[in-house]
Amino acid sequence: MAVSDASGATTGVARKSSRYNWSEVIVAALFVLPFIVVYGVIFVWPTIQMVWLSLHNAPLIGPGKWVGFDNYVKLFKDRLFSVAFWNTAYFVLLTVVPSTILGLLIALGINRLKGWAQSAILACFFIPHILPVSVVFRIWGWMFDSQFGILQYPIEAITGDHLPVFRTLPLFMPTVAWITIWWGVGFNILLFIAGLRNISPEIYEASELDGATRWQQFSRITWPLIWPVTVLVLTIQLILQFKIFDQVYLFGNGGRVDATMTLVQMIFRNAFQKNMGGYGATVAVVLFAIIVIFSVLQYQLLRARGGEK
Amino acid sequence: MGTVDLQHVTKRYGNVEVITDLSLKIEEGSFTALLGPSGCGKSTLLRMIAGLEEITIGSCFIDGVDQTETPPSKRGTAMVFQSYALYPHMTVRQNIAFSLSLAHASRQVQAQQVERVSKMLQLDQLLDRRPAQLSGGQRQRVAIGRALVRDPKVFLFDEPLSNLDAALRSQMRVELAKLHQDVKTTMIYVTHDQVEAMTLADKIVVLDKGVISQQGSPLELYNQPANKFVASFIGSPAMNFIAAELGSKNGNAYTVTLPGGHSASIATRGGTASGNSVDVGVRPEHLRLGAAGAAGTSFDGKVGIVEQLGNSTLLYVDTPAGTLIVEAEGNLKVAVGDSVGLTLDPSRSHLFGADGKVI
Repeated sequence: MAVSDASGATTGVARKSSRYNWSEVIVAALFVLPFIVVYGVIFVWPTIQMVWLSLHNAPLIGPGKWVGFDNYVKLFKDRLFSVAFWNTAYFVLLTVVPSTILGLLIALGINRLKGWAQSAILACFFIPHILPVSVVFRIWGWMFDSQFGILQYPIEAITGDHLPVFRTLPLFMPTVAWITIWWGVGFNILLFIAGLRNISPEIYEASELDGATRWQQFSRITWPLIWPVTVLVLTIQLILQFKIFDQVYLFGNGGRVDATMTLVQMIFRNAFQKNMGGYGATVAVVLFAIIVIFSVLQYQLLRARGGEK
Repeated sequence: MGTVDLQHVTKRYGNVEVITDLSLKIEEGSFTALLGPSGCGKSTLLRMIAGLEEITIGSCFIDGVDQTETPPSKRGTAMVFQSYALYPHMTVRQNIAFSLSLAHASRQVQAQQVERVSKMLQLDQLLDRRPAQLSGGQRQRVAIGRALVRDPKVFLFDEPLSNLDAALRSQMRVELAKLHQDVKTTMIYVTHDQVEAMTLADKIVVLDKGVISQQGSPLELYNQPANKFVASFIGSPAMNFIAAELGSKNGNAYTVTLPGGHSASIATRGGTASGNSVDVGVRPEHLRLGAAGAAGTSFDGKVGIVEQLGNSTLLYVDTPAGTLIVEAEGNLKVAVGDSVGLTLDPSRSHLFGADGKVI
């Protein structure tokens, strides 16, 4: 910076020093400190501990023996890990894109409604989202109950007999995926409606004058403009569904648990049921890495593609 | 071509009637301004012509063909919105060519049309930009370009300049006037700004609460307002209204006694007054400033506020008739508190009856 005279330079320095005086720095640090402490205590430190634990043959609590990457070598040879990985991947495939598409379609429908009807229908779709998983388990457990479940009527009409859906392996994951979509689609709808409301109605009127059909309005206006929200929903769903545990655990309980196992369930079993903290941590580290890689990749790729449009 | 004929049009939203039995003919190639305050129904009327609002009762003919039930894109109208309504994810080129691309025009035709329109509106350097990268005036030009490329029979403008600053607004006003001279297409222009209406239009339709208050050329409306609403709405600063006592009628003129005791003889426009009180309407520039107490003065008063605008001076004079606005020459030497005399020009004054209509 060019300074014309000495007094000007002095003023500049004085300003600079007053801008960063110690009392302000301390106040700023005090404001930031609670976040750093909480973030460090409940995220950074446990994550480091988890990685550290995965390098040991150790129980959940207490010291263990350093084994280096042995746990990882063992994990990639573990047949159950392979089952858990593919089950989780299959579940992600069955839920992420369908729940995003369904959310968008329902949001488009709700967005066309007006006034109280819009609020009422939106509430109907959102209510399942506020239910705890135990209630969801009960509701669908009853509905699919092989003796008296109401859904056995259509199942019987199609197959000719009652069917224990949660004990029929090929039907297990698709059914739990459907229940998960039903449970969580309300949140996607909410995000999409927020995105749709950001599109000015005058843009649709202008396109109507330009001669756009309803499909052209969707494909040329709504879809490109809602794309950032779609990317967000897909990413949230991807992270959420990779962590699938509760529904599979509850519906699979009493059945062929090993055949329906997912990655978080595997962590739970090793760490909490078998007290193999080190091995459980190894699965957790791998899952953490998978989620980080997939979600960051997906978000960046989809966002970049949206930008090119 | 490009005539618009609205016949007995009524528009209701539920129980609320915003347009009542309105009939209006718009000539081919004319520039018609629909003028009125907020909520008078002018935008609704325009949207009904565009087909964006349904007509509750009545018909809309464009070029003699009943278009009441025709979808917006088939009416041959193009609209420029107040918010511009540009497609934010498309470039200027794509925005302008959107209607052509929807109609599956060849790339060559699209490129030719975009070039024609963008040259006309000086947008040729901006074709690859998105709306977010444009200034207000440039966005407005893109919106006009998007309308222009469709070669419409009728252009509809819905307060297109109200989002622009004062300097840009007057610049765009000139550009719109030029555009109309160039394309000679029928234009219908909604505004609440009487200056825009006066400068751009060859015909102004003043709307009040969903009915036409008066229609005519700008000067007709300015010089011969049909009622107090039009008289007060057209002209800035607004016309002064002075409650006066009605005296005798001599031929075509009434003698009125003004507050303060002076009298004046004001010609009617052929009407007859009922009752014994009228409102005298006189524009600020038709009140002559003189010395207080001079012979022939209509009012004596004291200057309350002085606004020096450079080309003219506006005086707010406290008189027995209330505060009257006077427009005087620009370099007038007058101070707040000065006593002045005001003389109204009887030949430029108007008489309004109790119902607000001109007499």
